Amino acid sequence: MQSMELPLVLFTVLSQAAIGLVLMNAVRLHAGPGGGNARKEWTLVAALMGVGIAASLFHLGHPLESYRALAHLEKAWLSREVLAAGIFFALAAFAAFTGREKGSPVLVWASVLTGLLALLASGMTYAPPALPAVNNALPTVFFLISAVVLGAGFASWFAADGNQPLLARIFVTALVVGLVVRLTVPCAWLSGSEIMRQTGMAWLGAPLYWIHIALMAACLGVLWKNRAIPVWLPILALAGELAGRAVFFSETIHTAVNIGAPY
Amino acid sequence: MKKQYAFLVDSEKCIGCFTCAMACRNYYHQEKGVVWRHVYPLNEEIYPHRERAFFSLACNHCENPACLNVCLVEAYTKREDGVVVHHQEKCIGCGNCIRSCPYGAPVYNPVEKRAEKCSFCHERLDAGLLPACVQSCPTGALKLIDLATMEPGNHVQFPPGFPKNDKVNSSTRFIMPKVPTMVRR
Ligand code: SF4
Ligand code: SF4
Repeated sequence: MQSMELPLVLFTVLSQAAIGLVLMNAVRLHAGPGGGNARKEWTLVAALMGVGIAASLFHLGHPLESYRALAHLEKAWLSREVLAAGIFFALAAFAAFTGREKGSPVLVWASVLTGLLALLASGMTYAPPALPAVNNALPTVFFLISAVVLGAGFASWFAADGNQPLLARIFVTALVVGLVVRLTVPCAWLSGSEIMRQTGMAWLGAPLYWIHIALMAACLGVLWKNRAIPVWLPILALAGELAGRAVFFSETIHTAVNIGAPY
Repeated sequence: MKKQYAFLVDSEKCIGCFTCAMACRNYYHQEKGVVWRHVYPLNEEIYPHRERAFFSLACNHCENPACLNVCLVEAYTKREDGVVVHHQEKCIGCGNCIRSCPYGAPVYNPVEKRAEKCSFCHERLDAGLLPACVQSCPTGALKLIDLATMEPGNHVQFPPGFPKNDKVNSSTRFIMPKVPTMVRR
């Protein structure tokens, strides 16, 4: 087991919740006027991204030198991620300070775009050649699912009654997709290369992995019974995503652990 | 092909004495727990004989270094001679290179709170000397080669027990240990 990388767990999950919220905002714009309180919603988006960025600084050996993080935009996905997350945060903070009850579609779409770019850059950053199990599109897929699950969940705090069934449907769909992906991927790894197999075993043997699965299933169960999203349910989903992300960082096996043994 | 300095690891000659790894420590005095060169024993599934075989490995000074590609502050550069240098004063200690190098070459220095790795002793190379590990090896199992001028031979790039990654394209070359002769009585 490698380190759990708590600052990265917080940064990735909270920023994806923020991105998911603006995604759901755009979906609601598309679905027609539904009311709600845009200002409060933007405040939550900015707060989630702000806390996420602040948490990410604790991951650095030298946080005060983080201003140089954009030096390698040409090649490093991490530089691109920092840029996109920074612009996203600035847009959200601007919307929260200047916004009124009704949101601005331009800000929504600009945030959706930068948010998706940040998500893609994150997906590429955490898909390095040293981690064969996730040296592919999987991190982006995991992150997108987290964004939609959390976005739909938290958006229910702000959406008007007319939009609640739509959000509940999106929440359920994302949870079902998330459960299928989370259950099948580690099993598929078991028949892959040695390091993939070890990663599959490590994930399936991690209590936090099963806590994530159980919390996703519990959210589905609640929605099945309620047909609407209770106020506390997004918090439960958030706990699940944090547990799942901790598994992603701590249990994905690095090629260097096996040098001298078969790959 | 451009000049590309590399290590040639001759596992037929290597006796696993750790002199190369110790020479590196003696030369650079890394912090406790920080190791640039490792001597990895080959697992029995790869070399199932009574005598053992080893790979002595540090940074492979790859053609397309994962470390260099992912570093957000451009703390890595690749020299004309192929040596990949980590400029520690630029590093902010994000660990991205440590997570990304398939060979576990960059490591975290908990005192400096920055990454570091094998530098191929480039100051020694510039002075016409061999890297400390190569110079110290008592059996000549570790050699300095230039891939641009190297003759074809019995060396391989990705032997069993070494992570294969064509894209990163590591420079180290290996001579595999021979199967011992069985004497029947
Ligand atoms: S072995 Fe690792 S640290 Fe060395 S050049 Fe290759 S990717 Fe970079
Ligand atoms: S730890 Fe240092 S050298 Fe490595 S990627 Fe981060 S800033 Fe670059």
